[in-house]
Amino acid sequence: MSKPTVGIFGLTGCAGDQLVILNCEDQLLDLVSLIDIRDFLMASSENNQDCQLDLALVEGAVLSNRDAETLRAIRKRSKLLVALGTCAVWGGVAAMNRGADRDADRDALLEEVYGDIGRGYDSTPAQALHEVVPVDFNITGCPIEKEHFLAAVASLLNGDLPLYPEYPVCTECRMRENNCLLIERGLLCCGPITVGGCDARCPDLRVPCVGCRGPAGDANAGSLVAVMEEMGFSRPQLAARLRTFAPGGVA
Amino acid sequence: MSTIVIEHLARVEGHGGITVELQGDTVGDVRFDVFEGARLLEPLLKGKRYDEVAPIVSRICSICSAAHTLTSLKATEDAFGIRVSPQTDLLRELLLRGESIESHALHIFLLAVPDYLNYPSAIALAADKPAAVLLGLRLKKLGNLMQETIGGRAVHPVNPVVGGFGKTPSLDQLIELRSGLMQASADSDAVIDLMAALPAADFCRSETYYAALRSPNVDSYYSGDEVMVVSAGNRAIVPAADYRSLTNEKAVAHSHAKHSTFRGNPFMVGSLARLTVNPRRLTGKLAVAMKRLKLTLPADNPMDNNKAQALELINDVERSLEIIEQLLREGVKDERAMPAKPRAGTGTAIVEAPRGLLIHCYTYDEEGRIVSADVITPTALNAASMEQHFRRAVEQCPERDEAVIARRLGMIARAYDPCISCSVHLVRKR
Repeated sequence: MSKPTVGIFGLTGCAGDQLVILNCEDQLLDLVSLIDIRDFLMASSENNQDCQLDLALVEGAVLSNRDAETLRAIRKRSKLLVALGTCAVWGGVAAMNRGADRDADRDALLEEVYGDIGRGYDSTPAQALHEVVPVDFNITGCPIEKEHFLAAVASLLNGDLPLYPEYPVCTECRMRENNCLLIERGLLCCGPITVGGCDARCPDLRVPCVGCRGPAGDANAGSLVAVMEEMGFSRPQLAARLRTFAPGGVA
Repeated sequence: MSTIVIEHLARVEGHGGITVELQGDTVGDVRFDVFEGARLLEPLLKGKRYDEVAPIVSRICSICSAAHTLTSLKATEDAFGIRVSPQTDLLRELLLRGESIESHALHIFLLAVPDYLNYPSAIALAADKPAAVLLGLRLKKLGNLMQETIGGRAVHPVNPVVGGFGKTPSLDQLIELRSGLMQASADSDAVIDLMAALPAADFCRSETYYAALRSPNVDSYYSGDEVMVVSAGNRAIVPAADYRSLTNEKAVAHSHAKHSTFRGNPFMVGSLARLTVNPRRLTGKLAVAMKRLKLTLPADNPMDNNKAQALELINDVERSLEIIEQLLREGVKDERAMPAKPRAGTGTAIVEAPRGLLIHCYTYDEEGRIVSADVITPTALNAASMEQHFRRAVEQCPERDEAVIARRLGMIARAYDPCISCSVHLVRKR
């Protein structure tokens, strides 16, 4: 069997998900013997930018027309397109105020940061990949978990799709027998509605979950908001907190 | 008129290119083009509570995420008048050293060395020289283990919080780090062997200004609040609160990057600048290594930044061992973060990120919400200096061979180790 052809791409973001791939130090050399990485600009200066790809891994959000064109071109040449990381899946931090009044005038924001010449930049409100092209599956996380990436590649090599948790961070936090930061310490922890898979990394360190993995499929957001309001957090405060990484919509 | 264009720089973090315009023999416009989408994170911070800020600004850049996190915490602590414990200071420095080890190992072995040896990637290099790549991966993994142990995660640390840490690492964890560091210390000769064997890269010499955090003690990464600017024979000090005099960013006519200059001169930040400003640790093993790499300071060749990164890699390992020994000697206490009492005011912090000076400045209201935020990144600070060296490279190639020039420009860009995601303050090409 010929090796599957793979492309690894970054749109606008922090490059953290590509970095997680490069952080698979123990697996990297095995990995490149099993898959044929044809296009990976962050790691190689010799790339085939036109060939057909069995698998495209795309991180970052769409924040410009250029990003959107790049993404459409990747979609066209790829059998499977995977959104890699919270920005690609949900829009990420750059999207947190999308739709809010302040984002209405993007030119004004551009001018605030870049001065006069900011107006007219190729800059569009942050979009998740699925808002621009069809996405075959998502690996969420900010950044993604190394194990989830490796499991995805292993599944695909075997003609299968990987399975990821749908349950919230709380499930994993309970399994680690942590004290509850929300109920017992009154801290604004997003664990109840954030999708697990991180092994409750933050609450295990006594740090409240900030929701960096995006919403859990089976979370009960209404109930969480009610509990938090009872604890004295205001709705705008909650809304802002819950929108920080995933500003809404269904991935 | 002809134009040399590198459309999309490879083996760097983020999206950038280089354009050089030639009018006959004269070098015209030289541009470091950035086409990273604008995320506008600074305005997005407005109204955010102090404990939400670091997790957001960390996302500016993955490779420098520990530096962004700690600079952010330091600026917030400065605004609120919080003094963290000495143990917190030590652990934060250890975290930054871990990030630096990871970043330098990634850059040297995976991104830059393939340049010198004419390989398109470390993957291609691994087929012929597996030992070199495996050495790089081993050091990189150690840097990540340090970040996981202290920061809670290798990319975008979660454990550092305003006032300290969520949880203090255990003695066992520190002892595990120590054994990894001792192995790395034993590897340092191999690092220098590899670097010393690389072909010389000498095609863009010019007098260069350097700026780095001035060290109050050994060599500074995390502590300190003054910047020193050094050029041949001249030194100047800039206190943190006056950082704008250093960065006086201005949009330039060719409209691609706000250029930072100090008294009209572009300056370089990063490894080479740090060693130039803080040469005190370059003794013993490091002095020998420096001699083997034929590095003299102040250097007039920006390509020497790769050598400086190798020296720093060794120094980071040695300094990390010292920190761990001190922590083990003094005992590690399970401290809680210092309580934060928000107050209105401004805080500024400067930290050395792997690529150089990183500055965060926040103004808070009395409830501890962000009124305004300013983030100055090393790649933005380096832009003017990088362009200056691009220009020298073209000037110093009289035959104007496009392929040669393009290769050299790519090498210079990579020697600066740009982190284009960090370019929140780079003005991009229209």
